[in-house]
Amino acid sequence: MPDESILSDEFIRELINVGEVDILVGVPTHNDARTVGQVVQAVRAGLLKYFPRARSVIINADGGSRDGTRDLVCAASINDTVGSNLPALRTLHSISTQYEGPPASGTALHTILAAADLLQAKACAVISPESTSLEPEWVERLLRPVIREGVDLVLPVYRRHKFDGMLIRNLVYPVTRAVYGCTVQEPYPSDYAFSSNLGSNFLNQDLWTQEQGRHGTELWLTLAAIIGRYRIYQSFLGTRGRLESPPSDLVKAMRETAGLLFCSMDCYPAAWKDSREPLPAPCGGCQPAVSLEPMRVNRKRLHQMFTFGISQLEPVFSSILSTPTHEELKRLATLPENEFELPEPLWARTVYEFAAAYHRAVIGRDHVVQALVPLFRGRALTFLTENREAKESEIESNIDKVCHAFEAEKPYLLQVWDGGK
Amino acid sequence: MPVQQDALWYKDAVIYQVHVRSFLDSSGDGNGDFRGLAQKLDYLQDLGINTLWLMPFFPSPLRDDGYDISDYRTVNPLYGTLDDFKNFLEVAHKRGIRVIIEMVLNHTSDQHPWFQESRSSRSNPRRDWYVWSDTDTKYKGTRIIFLDTELSNWAWDPVSKQYYWHRFFSHQPDLNWDNPAVREEMWDVMRFWLDMGVDAFRLDAVPYLVEREGTNCENLPETHGVIKDLRTRLDREYPGRMLLAEANQWPSDLRAYFSTGDEFHMAFHFPLMPRMFMGVKLEDRKPITEILKQTPEIPETCQWCLFLRNHDELTLEMVTDLERDYMYDEYAKEKAMRLNLGIRRRLAPLLDNDRRRIELMNGMLMSMPGTPIVYYGDEIGMGDNINLGDRNGVRTPMQWDGGWNGGFSTADPETLYSPLMLNPVYGFQAVNVQSQKRFDHSLLAWMKRLIKIRKSTAVFGRGSIQFLYPANHRVLAYVRKLGNETILVVNNLSSSAQAVELDLKPYKGNILVEMFGRNVFPRIGDLPYLLTMGPYQFYWFKIRRV
Amino acid sequence: MWSNFVGEMTRAADEILKGFARFLPRILEMLVIVLVGWVIAILLRAIARSILKIARFDKLSEHTGATQLLRGAALPSLTELTSRFVFWIAWLGFILLGISVLGVAGFDEHVATFIEFLPRLVVSLFILFFGLLAASFFSRAVLLGAVNANLSSPRIISWAVRTMIILFVVSMAFEELSISSRTVVVAFGMTFGALMFGLALAFGLGGKDLARRYLEKRFGSEPAEEQHDHEDELSPL
Repeated sequence: MPDESILSDEFIRELINVGEVDILVGVPTHNDARTVGQVVQAVRAGLLKYFPRARSVIINADGGSRDGTRDLVCAASINDTVGSNLPALRTLHSISTQYEGPPASGTALHTILAAADLLQAKACAVISPESTSLEPEWVERLLRPVIREGVDLVLPVYRRHKFDGMLIRNLVYPVTRAVYGCTVQEPYPSDYAFSSNLGSNFLNQDLWTQEQGRHGTELWLTLAAIIGRYRIYQSFLGTRGRLESPPSDLVKAMRETAGLLFCSMDCYPAAWKDSREPLPAPCGGCQPAVSLEPMRVNRKRLHQMFTFGISQLEPVFSSILSTPTHEELKRLATLPENEFELPEPLWARTVYEFAAAYHRAVIGRDHVVQALVPLFRGRALTFLTENREAKESEIESNIDKVCHAFEAEKPYLLQVWDGGK
Repeated sequence: MPVQQDALWYKDAVIYQVHVRSFLDSSGDGNGDFRGLAQKLDYLQDLGINTLWLMPFFPSPLRDDGYDISDYRTVNPLYGTLDDFKNFLEVAHKRGIRVIIEMVLNHTSDQHPWFQESRSSRSNPRRDWYVWSDTDTKYKGTRIIFLDTELSNWAWDPVSKQYYWHRFFSHQPDLNWDNPAVREEMWDVMRFWLDMGVDAFRLDAVPYLVEREGTNCENLPETHGVIKDLRTRLDREYPGRMLLAEANQWPSDLRAYFSTGDEFHMAFHFPLMPRMFMGVKLEDRKPITEILKQTPEIPETCQWCLFLRNHDELTLEMVTDLERDYMYDEYAKEKAMRLNLGIRRRLAPLLDNDRRRIELMNGMLMSMPGTPIVYYGDEIGMGDNINLGDRNGVRTPMQWDGGWNGGFSTADPETLYSPLMLNPVYGFQAVNVQSQKRFDHSLLAWMKRLIKIRKSTAVFGRGSIQFLYPANHRVLAYVRKLGNETILVVNNLSSSAQAVELDLKPYKGNILVEMFGRNVFPRIGDLPYLLTMGPYQFYWFKIRRV
Repeated sequence: MWSNFVGEMTRAADEILKGFARFLPRILEMLVIVLVGWVIAILLRAIARSILKIARFDKLSEHTGATQLLRGAALPSLTELTSRFVFWIAWLGFILLGISVLGVAGFDEHVATFIEFLPRLVVSLFILFFGLLAASFFSRAVLLGAVNANLSSPRIISWAVRTMIILFVVSMAFEELSISSRTVVVAFGMTFGALMFGLALAFGLGGKDLARRYLEKRFGSEPAEEQHDHEDELSPL
């Protein structure tokens, strides 16, 4: 039984008016008035252009915006009371609801999933209100595979800066690929689509009262799809717009990524311990997806924070890491910045030992995840140095190299998983 | 019950459209005739209709179902004699049924003596009764209507070695309305029939009367001039008679044909019809409310003519490409069902023979602002035969009973003007008047009740309309109002049950009385009025103060 | 002399044997009591375990965070721990009962005192156990937080937090045992200080950006400060 009590009475009344739909596009927001109008307009244009006959609805799950975000979404409605010159065959409802509790993308997704379940949407897309570079085509590229080809989860592939998303490229992507055998470039998507099948399965999972039901839920969805061996597809969308807002906190990001990855490995050991067939995730329209504009990075600070972390967190690391790994890291910390390199195999072993430590809960699990942050900074520094002059193809192959290291070290993971230090 | 004397009679009319040829054959020659039609006036009176619209019954080579007229002043011998017609007219009027006949002003048959004379030589006095030209490049901006059969609006006449103008088939040359002699002659033709007692004319292909270079030759001011002239003469000499325009145009273009009430009395609302079908298929009222919002106000004495199906294809000229593709895919999956820019099918097959949808569509037809037309056979749910060419598939003989030729004719089946419907679903053994008369719940019986209720009040024909726009877009609701009589109509366009909340605050304190069963519904309070509706269900409520 | 010695020995042995013979039933009685107690304790443990399982006690402990603490200390789950505790308390009770059957002089009083003392001992053990866990947990949390926020000397901060919590916990435990009531006041003082310090730290960590921006806006920005955050310009996700 999906928990529909999360939907307010007023929202349910609006859903009754919407009725059964083919396509539901969810937009989770919180104070996004700056961009959400543009995004919703593009979504609407995409629906009208590519799915003119489908019964569609745009649903905004809002975390309590005070800047008029919700009104901007509702303004995208097409019906017979407000005149519009759009070539629309049907009424298009664009409705908004405010979910209870603090703003969290997981709670928003929960609301969207519950609405999709109630409306029996055949395909559901979630679009980030910050996707300022959203083109109407994105809607088509995300939803078409679900509607026409029976795919269960469509993940995006963006053209991004080569140093964008380093945590994804150096940790989440390689681990997902090596451990679960599924090559998805953006396992933690902000724009994605899924089938009713996967949606209701996910809705009925027991995660909504837990941390992964609030933050990083999108990654959890990807992992659930991989573990459940659903049909996954990747669609190349285009350049992902960069917001000028302050970037997110690295500890938080680590919790939402590594934390959830470790958690899923802990919960579903059967999904990765026995070697299974790799799960294919074909990519439509994929192309080298990096851009190369120069970017200023403070490498000195990264190096300093790595060495500082190694020295200060000695007791923590000693309970997480095996002695050889720990010693090797300590040795790296003594190197000057220009000679510093955290090689891929060592990075892979480190991450795996952290995963095992998380599994065995040698210390508080959240502390395991937090302790990985300074080490990731070392890896990030290495990646930056390695790819400073790299062209598109080199970046790709360097990321592949990371993946191969993780794949090669998978037996090591199995070995350390249950305590073989 | 003789015909009532009310100048606005057409506002309260329920029109039944029929082709003499298709209704009943009394002579046994395979073609319906006026004597047959006269015999069936009882049936029509019983059905409740009060106006008959007859399709062309003039002598004709019948290459366009009679719209190619070769003599305007008599009856095609296939359908009887002029006396038969006069007799029919008299009987109809006795039963309170008025008669609308076709008047094709735009063109004649190429077999018409006028054209024969006109083409005989360039110097013939009737030469400029038609539109002749040395080149086929004049009036370039004019579209071709019958895209499937015609390549040009000009046809070469090998006899007089000139091109003649035709907007429709090449065997239908257009009359030259710039010629005063043509105008006088045509008025004379109309007087001929008006004198006989005909109540109204449906003027065919009105927008195309006059041609001017540099225009699209449609809806020209000169054309309006012609109509105004005819109307003035009609009002002067034959008050109480009516002109009905056939002009397949957007409502805003059509509006001009009402002018200030001094051109047509009525005009067909062409764009509404496909949108009603679209609304039901989409389960969304948007197409319907949108087109009605675009429909301009018309003078008090004028009226829209509404229909679901007629003798032509379900025209899709007045929809966008997106909508047309949708309509084709949903209503004409087989190529054979399509013709020109339209769908050549009857009501029942279009709606998958779904009784609930047929009822809903008829319910909307009867409750929207305008005068409804019922196409013959649709009251019993007749089918079509898409294997017959052109639009003949929707013009098969009326199915009266399960006997010989469906009761239409005593002739050999091979000699009928058109084969009868024979398939097990729509064939005359399955669908016929006699069998439906036997049951109270047949479509025919239901149609009778519907028409009766429609006629029980003048609100539907003359009242104003106000849409309610409930948040549930699958429900089309509107209030019809005339004087102190108010009727609420609620239609569920969806195939599933729906809940709808109606904002009826202006009627707070009133009760609703459902018009079919006369049952009382709860009083209207402060809260939105909640109705639950079954699939394709519709309600007509009288809003009454108690 | 020899016979005398032998006689003495025999008498002594006889005495011992007699003593034993006098004592033996009691010992047997005690053993039986202890054995029965053991069985009963095992039963009680099983009952406690199944009741806690039915009541989903582990879930509860997970939600409160106790499980994480226990895992951190490499201890079994709270259900297991509690049922073991029930076992030992029950068995200990029976063992004491058994010993009291032996009728050792003055032992009864000791047993009574012990039994009276037992609940407080249990409570103080609890306080000590969880307090120490909390101390290591919070000190580690502070350490990690400080390192990731790039604060200077995280270890000292962490050590300070740990020491304060331990001080507080130990004094609470002593207070429970009524050993030194004065320490409580001192401990409270210290804890309060620690709490304030912790809060200040938390606010400092959470609000440093805000504060910095405020200060910059107020007193003009320093370009050197700007340099600091460039690493974060890279979006990690």
